Amino acid sequence: MVTRRFLHLDVFAPRAGAGNPLAVVLDADGLDTEAMQRIAAWTNVIETTFVLPPTTPEASYRVRIFTPRRELAFAGHPSVGTAHAVLAAGLAAPRDAEGGARQLVQECGAGLLPVRVEDHGAAQALFVQAPATQVLARRSGADPGLQALLGTRLSTAGAALIDSGRRWWAAELVDEAAVRGWAPDFDGIAALASPHDAMGLAVFARCPGKDYGLVVRALMPFHGHYEDPASGAANAALAGYLHATGQADGLGERYVVSQGREVGRDARLALVHEAGRVWVGGATQTVVSGRLRW
Amino acid sequence: MTTRDFMQLDVFADQPGRGNPLGVVFGADDLDTAAMQALAAWLNLSETTYVLPATQPGADYRLRIFTPRQELPFAGHPSVGTAHAVLERGLATPKATNGIGTLLQECAAGLLPLRIDGDGAQRAIHVRAPRGVERSADDRAVLASLQGAPLGDARPALIDNGPRWWCIELANEATVRQLAPDLEAMAAANRADGSVGVAVFARCAGSDHALVVRAFVPADGIPEDPVTGSANAAIAAWLHANAALPARRFRGSQGREVGRDGVVEIEVDEAGEVWIGGLTQTVIEGTLTW
Repeated sequence: MVTRRFLHLDVFAPRAGAGNPLAVVLDADGLDTEAMQRIAAWTNVIETTFVLPPTTPEASYRVRIFTPRRELAFAGHPSVGTAHAVLAAGLAAPRDAEGGARQLVQECGAGLLPVRVEDHGAAQALFVQAPATQVLARRSGADPGLQALLGTRLSTAGAALIDSGRRWWAAELVDEAAVRGWAPDFDGIAALASPHDAMGLAVFARCPGKDYGLVVRALMPFHGHYEDPASGAANAALAGYLHATGQADGLGERYVVSQGREVGRDARLALVHEAGRVWVGGATQTVVSGRLRW
Repeated sequence: MTTRDFMQLDVFADQPGRGNPLGVVFGADDLDTAAMQALAAWLNLSETTYVLPATQPGADYRLRIFTPRQELPFAGHPSVGTAHAVLERGLATPKATNGIGTLLQECAAGLLPLRIDGDGAQRAIHVRAPRGVERSADDRAVLASLQGAPLGDARPALIDNGPRWWCIELANEATVRQLAPDLEAMAAANRADGSVGVAVFARCAGSDHALVVRAFVPADGIPEDPVTGSANAAIAAWLHANAALPARRFRGSQGREVGRDGVVEIEVDEAGEVWIGGLTQTVIEGTLTW
């Protein structure tokens, strides 16, 4: 039986156990779609990726991304983690890009996507460029439905329905304690999200004086009342919304998000706004490194 | 941050992907209970075990067993898989007892013997399950959650062998394989009577497995467990109490309905003790840094 290099990583994690897990199977040639799906179901990790040789010279590597149930064209934390695995395994090296940046080019179901590499001494942060955010609807802090769901926690800024591939409701709360202390009403979130085909509700607050600019919680009511420990896509959409609507002034072109403490993690995501686009990234920790026999 | 040896196994499986996954962490002496629980939650496997030096005379090793939510005193597939991992690593050597290789496992439920037969992917390991005893309970709510599926000969019973399993015989293999229970109603029934879940089974004449089994654990957020040692042991104990065992040694088939194809070997010995076991496949082997 063939063995392949295997990594179980923690993405958006300043230390092991703080972030969002990802399994990566390197040297995945020879596995067909059905075998990839069965491996992803068996690992039971929220996403498992399979690294393949690129099919075009512009790409550094090719990746396929699977949840335990289906294949995804693109997702943020699997892209960040897979790039980390590719670099750690020496399968590709960053190339020079415009503006002095260094990047990998990921080939995936959504096409060719740049992954930027930032070295901070021994630590490395990787960033993926997020799709542009559209603001589909806004509701004020006086909206009765939002008031019923969030009460006095809701800030005057209110909420917006935002879309950067997937839709989220995003609601600004009055302060960090209001975000961290909320016991989410998932039925109420489902009622808010369902008419708009949204994934759920991201609540956030500004955190002056902390080493992170925002605290975020991403609440998904439709698959077992799930709270995501670290959400690349939701945070990127949120950053795009804040920048597009003039609400990012106090945060700057680069800010850090704290997410996941309420579910036993402590993730950090960096959001960079540059030339009208949002990049989301962070550190990745290698938890399990070994070989997979399948 | 420490780096330890780690294995991720597939238990009750004759090839990778067919059984029930298990994480095994070696050299866990310096991890406290909170760290063990946090790591098990992060790995998100049905169970993760930690291999520790034995503290009791005669024991070959000690293990602690964690689900993503809690520590368990004993469970079947973690015991079988951990013994496989310990033997693969050469950390213990089976003793020959009456011509059979044995190990003695120390866990929170006490000292439990294991039987070892063979090597590697063909190594069968059997563990003696805690005794299963019937607890009185009202079966109406749990039967209602089966939505009218026709029952078999054995009376439905709540069997306690550590966890409490509803053991319910259905009319035939097709009834079991096609069953679509009302999981919300089942979860409510389980919460009301303190049962861990519902194990349904049927006899399979002329097959390489004498029983087909499915185990539902909706109250713990697991709609269906792929392959369940304790549920198979509870069924065997109940059939033995009813003098209705298909044989002293037989096989249960479980997991096809959730994309697996596990095989549990079951034996009821002369003393009436139930042994469960099977093959384990080493799927992932490496190191873990935490």
